[in-house]
Amino acid sequence: MGDLNTFQQFFYYFSENGSYVFMQFLQHFLISIYGVLLAALVGIPLGILISKYAKLSGFIITIANIIQTIPALALLAILMLGMGLGQSTVVIAVFLYSLLPIIKNTYTGINNINKDLIDSGKGMGMTKAQVLYMIELPLSLSVMIAGIRIALVVAIGVTAIGAFIGAGGLGDIIIRGTNATDGTAIILAGAIPTALMAVLADLILSWIEKKIDPIKRNKKFTKPTIQSLND
Amino acid sequence: MRSIVKLFIGICSMALILSGCSSGKGSGNEAIKVATVTTTESAIMGNMIKLMIEHYTDESVEMINNLGSSVVVHQAMVNGDANISASRYTGTDLTGALGEEPIKSPEKAMKTVQKLFDEDYNQTFFDSYGFANTYAFMVNKETAKKYNLKKVSDLKKVADKMEAGVDTSWMNRPGDGYKAFVKDYGFDFGKVYPMQIGLVYDAVEAGKMDVVLGYTTDGRIASYDLVVLEDDLHFFPPYDCSPLATNELLKAKPEVKKVLEKLIDTVSTEEMQKLNYESDNNLLEPAIVAEKFLEKHNYFEDKGGE
Repeated sequence: MGDLNTFQQFFYYFSENGSYVFMQFLQHFLISIYGVLLAALVGIPLGILISKYAKLSGFIITIANIIQTIPALALLAILMLGMGLGQSTVVIAVFLYSLLPIIKNTYTGINNINKDLIDSGKGMGMTKAQVLYMIELPLSLSVMIAGIRIALVVAIGVTAIGAFIGAGGLGDIIIRGTNATDGTAIILAGAIPTALMAVLADLILSWIEKKIDPIKRNKKFTKPTIQSLND
Repeated sequence: MRSIVKLFIGICSMALILSGCSSGKGSGNEAIKVATVTTTESAIMGNMIKLMIEHYTDESVEMINNLGSSVVVHQAMVNGDANISASRYTGTDLTGALGEEPIKSPEKAMKTVQKLFDEDYNQTFFDSYGFANTYAFMVNKETAKKYNLKKVSDLKKVADKMEAGVDTSWMNRPGDGYKAFVKDYGFDFGKVYPMQIGLVYDAVEAGKMDVVLGYTTDGRIASYDLVVLEDDLHFFPPYDCSPLATNELLKAKPEVKKVLEKLIDTVSTEEMQKLNYESDNNLLEPAIVAEKFLEKHNYFEDKGGE
């Protein structure tokens, strides 16, 4: 292979190992998505809860903050001691890292809603649940999606490190490249799809975020709340 | 309102669908977990085991790749994180996991390791795949011809004029290191250069070193056509490579044992050099190398009907 330059080697690698890279790509993506979805299922209700009970918010956000400060490699090592090697440990690590952006964005999204809108909702005779479902959640939804978006991009990075505890994914290819005699092309073959995945995930979720935002979605309404109340 | 419900239904159904993906096949019991270390060799053998098990049984196999060393793999096996280790070397495990003194006879080392793993850890150390990854002195073809070198003892007459490149860690190693080598073989090289192990093959091929100490399964031995000198005094302890599995797994799934036995004595040291070369130099993934090898040999269908 000495006669090929890195660029040619890179394409040669893909032509020979395409199916393998695709499988690792899929596995990488699934691990990230699992962790983020779990975090969304826990984090969104938790965010709503702390926006209603302000006393809890400091405590829960502090915990999520502390988790965020632990370096990925250390968190994986700590989890590994308790849970052993493999994919489930990485899913839990991703879950923990995703909690902060999701909880915080849900909390901020709900708290930043114009209080007048909530008051008018109450004035119309809405129950608390109705205020939540008809005013607060629709208006904060795009901010929540923004949180999920941050979480997913971070998750893809964390999953790459997860290859060190045997979870597989594209990180596996990168590690192999560092061990091979002349592994530049192999490292690139692992790194470029990882970066591509993060960029794509970011773009797709930002598109969803725009679609779902009632204000941006309905530019023709000068008073967007009217629309969402009729919804 | 509707969009919220949609989002939550979306998240929940995604979670359900995805969880369906992973636990998909198999008869509902847990996947067999195969642990490998970071070497190419280990990854190739691990993938072979995976493909063999998938070929012969309905079990699903999960790989745990890139573990740091055989000690980490050993811990994973003891903790139940893994059921099979793809590549275990008699010499490494004897002094590492088992904490015994090195044994120089390959047969005796294998018997001791097999016995101790069975007794102490309830694990089965299989017979070797057929290759050993040990240290060996090697020279390029011209040097071998010039001095008529076949065994390490042949070096004795010419060694004082020779420059030798060796692994840095070998220099100060007790037991089978440089000092012990000089004592056992009774000669010394003219000059000894400690260097990184990956560089020695290129150095001897280019003629910058006359003789080097390298690993016997490295792919570059085959590609550079190097001559491996026979260790006639059996100075280096044997590092025969075998799979290791927990007895628990073998008892619960006896068909897995048969599959692993099919791999015994199938890959010679020369064959392993070629496979390593495919992966290290020709940019093939170990998974692909393993698949090609098994397809070429028809998954050893005809071998051992026991």
